[in-house]
Amino acid sequence: MRMLLVEDNDDLAETIIDRLRAEGHSVDRERDGNEANELLRHFKFDIVLLDVNLPGRSGYEVLRSLRNRLDETPVIILTARSQIDDRVIGLDAGADDYMIKPVDFRELSARCRVLARRRAGNASNVFTAGPLVFDRAAKQAKIHGRDTGMRAREIQLLEIMIDNMGRMLTKEDVADRLYTFEDAPSLNAVEQLVTRLRRKLEGTPLVIKTARGLGYIAYLAEDD
Amino acid sequence: MTEGGGHSLQRRLLVTMATGFAILLLLISALLWTYARAAANRPQDLLLAGTALSILERISAGPEGATVDLPNSAMEILSLNPIDRVQYRVFLPGGPTLTGTEGLPVPPGLAPSGAPVFFEQAFSGTVFRFVLQARQLTTAEGRQWVAVQVGQTVEARDAEQRSFFVAGLIGLAGLSLIGLGFVWVAIRTSLAPLRQVAADLAQREPADLGAVGGAPPREIRGLFDAINGFIARLSRSRALTETFIADVAHQTRTSLSALQGHLSLAVDAETPEQMRSRLVKADRQATRTVRLTNQLLANAMVIHRSDRSSLQPLALKPLVRDTLAQTLRDSRMRHISLSFVDEGIEPGGDIVLGDAVSIREALRNLIENAVRHGPPDNTITISLVASNEALVLSVEDAGPGIAEADLPRATERFTSLSQNSTGSGLGLSIVKAVTDGHGAELRLGRSPLGGLCVTLIFKRLLAVLLLALWPLVSGGGAARAEALVIHSATDTAAMRPLIEAFEARTPGVEVDYVEYQTLDLYRAMLREAEGPGPDLVISSAMDLQVDLVNRGLARRLQLPFQTESPSWAVWRSELFGFTFEPAVIVYDTRAISREELPASHRDLATFVRENEDRFRGRIGTYDIAQSGIGYLFASQDGLQGPQMLRLFEVLGRADLKTYCCTSQMVEATARGELAFAFNTIGSYAAAQIEAEPHLGLHFFDDYNLVMTRTAFVPAAARQPEVAALFIAFLLSREGQGIIAEQTPLIPLSPEQAIPPPIGPEMRARSGTFLPIRLTPGLLTYLDALKQRDFLSAWEASLGR
Repeated sequence: MRMLLVEDNDDLAETIIDRLRAEGHSVDRERDGNEANELLRHFKFDIVLLDVNLPGRSGYEVLRSLRNRLDETPVIILTARSQIDDRVIGLDAGADDYMIKPVDFRELSARCRVLARRRAGNASNVFTAGPLVFDRAAKQAKIHGRDTGMRAREIQLLEIMIDNMGRMLTKEDVADRLYTFEDAPSLNAVEQLVTRLRRKLEGTPLVIKTARGLGYIAYLAEDD
Repeated sequence: MTEGGGHSLQRRLLVTMATGFAILLLLISALLWTYARAAANRPQDLLLAGTALSILERISAGPEGATVDLPNSAMEILSLNPIDRVQYRVFLPGGPTLTGTEGLPVPPGLAPSGAPVFFEQAFSGTVFRFVLQARQLTTAEGRQWVAVQVGQTVEARDAEQRSFFVAGLIGLAGLSLIGLGFVWVAIRTSLAPLRQVAADLAQREPADLGAVGGAPPREIRGLFDAINGFIARLSRSRALTETFIADVAHQTRTSLSALQGHLSLAVDAETPEQMRSRLVKADRQATRTVRLTNQLLANAMVIHRSDRSSLQPLALKPLVRDTLAQTLRDSRMRHISLSFVDEGIEPGGDIVLGDAVSIREALRNLIENAVRHGPPDNTITISLVASNEALVLSVEDAGPGIAEADLPRATERFTSLSQNSTGSGLGLSIVKAVTDGHGAELRLGRSPLGGLCVTLIFKRLLAVLLLALWPLVSGGGAARAEALVIHSATDTAAMRPLIEAFEARTPGVEVDYVEYQTLDLYRAMLREAEGPGPDLVISSAMDLQVDLVNRGLARRLQLPFQTESPSWAVWRSELFGFTFEPAVIVYDTRAISREELPASHRDLATFVRENEDRFRGRIGTYDIAQSGIGYLFASQDGLQGPQMLRLFEVLGRADLKTYCCTSQMVEATARGELAFAFNTIGSYAAAQIEAEPHLGLHFFDDYNLVMTRTAFVPAAARQPEVAALFIAFLLSREGQGIIAEQTPLIPLSPEQAIPPPIGPEMRARSGTFLPIRLTPGLLTYLDALKQRDFLSAWEASLGR
């Protein structure tokens, strides 16, 4: 994966770059907000790791201009501030995730992988995770090359979960995306649907975790 | 330091004394109030009695029984009181009302007698003070009582009473203030020792935590002890803070030394295996140091935030949900089964006064603890339950928990009970700091899941409080065009320049102007009760307007600026005159020469009688039975002397022609049908004769009646403010200027130059103009009997 790290502390930057390169990613680094902004105008990255306190312009500003250009590149904010503003994660700034420094490298890698998966799932028509191959265009999911026989709703749910990997969806969120207004969605129906899909995904690394009272979160077990 | 909310001894003593004085004042003012009323009633009652007497005198026995000729003096006496509305009636006790307003209230059991009786009764929603007096009359049917009842609203009395009362009260209040002044001096003197303590404390260095010395008076010894007790506690708390800093220094230094130690050993290691094992230890130590630092910072932040009053109403449920959703992203959470139970919380039922950052920190630490101390597949349940006054947030897990004996120590700093985990011993003390900062309760116990159950009990903020604030935020209507509805007995063309100028200077207002004849307008206003009425009523018939206002149909106005209207042109701040329109004779110069014209009203009768044949059928005036303004001019002429009835007779013989309006009279004169027309409205006539050079205007030398066009805002108006603005505009310099220059009307303000042809004529006769006054005196000729007599005299003399 091609990554951009925007971080002004050289020691910290060095360790992060070493770590990510060791995992096989290609990593560019910028130390200045303005320069990072210029670079992002002209080149596409798979993931951007963005510090907040930067010379030139702040990480939030870089992020805002990125989103103003309708650029959907996944962004993880790295910050040393312990009081994280809620709006960082929301629509306002448009970050996909944030981590507080000092960051745990394993956790950072895990989150990068989730975002990369989500992006890959969104960008291409075919999503592959272990034996699972999901063809978005053909609306077909295969395990070990065999059709899983998923129904339309299950395919739809699978698509939703892949698009939102690593992000918690409430039952209501899922129902809203699955059903039209006329369908009169029942939350029980969503539960049953998730159970059915989970059964059909057995043997693949794609896990749909239920947090009772909260919702669902999808991740790939092989990431750990 | 006492801020606004604190008590002041001095204030308290003063308040007590002031309360005493106030109670005293209250008692005295109750007496004063009654006295002031009696004093205010006395002169006003004399007016009422005088009126009743003057009416009684005019009661006589006619062929059809008792009758009355209402004297003008009666209403004139009442007009001495310039503000109150008037009601009267003449009636036979137990029988019909002869004239006046039927159904005026009389207290039960009050029999009319020869002596005046005063009483107050409500009539049509307003309090009136009435006088009732009767006399015996010998009629064809024998002797009978005839009673007169006259009443006035009590506004003048109320005002008088208030002014007496206020004058008396000011004197008493002055005395009380002087008394309070003495009290104040006494208090200052006795509180001097407290100021000494204050000075002592104010001069202290922050480090000086010794007790306050001195021998305090007995009354404040308790305070002294309390201050010294507080200083002692402060001193202990400072010692604790110093211990904390020492603890923090110790913990971080130890942790960093260990890290440094592992690293130096790794540097000096001789074999890669040795180095590797050292580095693994260093890595683990670094993780511990990071966590320790994070928690120390979180602890400091939470304590700092609880110091500031940063608590705001916030909804706990979404805060908990968001925090949990964020926590779940952590890859360490993947095998942990996390659930959230929030049953039975209604929308708006989860509001607490809190700090979101601190609460999130507490929750995160609790989950972190559960993850850290529990098995990798731990079960964590977070529940939020609302009770009547509290919101209970619990975090429980299936981990090892804390032994019963250790629970009391668990929230102390640096007490990590588990030796083999990487706990810093700060997690629970952060939670404790958060609950302390929120005035919440923290309970530790054993969970049914097997592990620790941490319960935070927040005080619930009633949603009602929040809802009460909402209307303040919403509301506020958009500006839209408002229609000002004017019902008026004035030519639309004459008013148009005024309306256009008003609309231009009052954006968003559109005037809806409806034209009426004077009597139609009057009758419409009397019927008005059913439908939505006008916002403004304008008419030239002053008596009818006074009658409408006297019936309580008008609204009192506070005009935006001081108007300079003469007193005759305003009544009760409800009825406002805005023009000055004299009655005038219009004549045909081809039929009469200027020199021939009669100089006075008396001469007019003589002049007509002497030229009866010459003017037969060639004299015009208003049909006073049909025209309100004609009746007003004729009846006011009647007040000026007895010649009016004679004039009626003379005119009748000369075959008088009657008309509905000034314009028709002027047109008839212009066509040569009339030699002259009298009592025409000067303003209209002047505008009309401009195009007819053979017509002339003539004023008398003795007196010339002047009518003013009046406006009032009905009580039921929907746009009273805008209507008041319109009246203010009519009376303003700008409005009066427009009346002078752009309308045929003549302005009230003497500053405006009146253009020819009528202007020079009026200047030549200045001093002869007799304005008809806006007073209840105008009601005399509206009296039913009086009007019937006057009109029948008129009809008889015209031979109808």
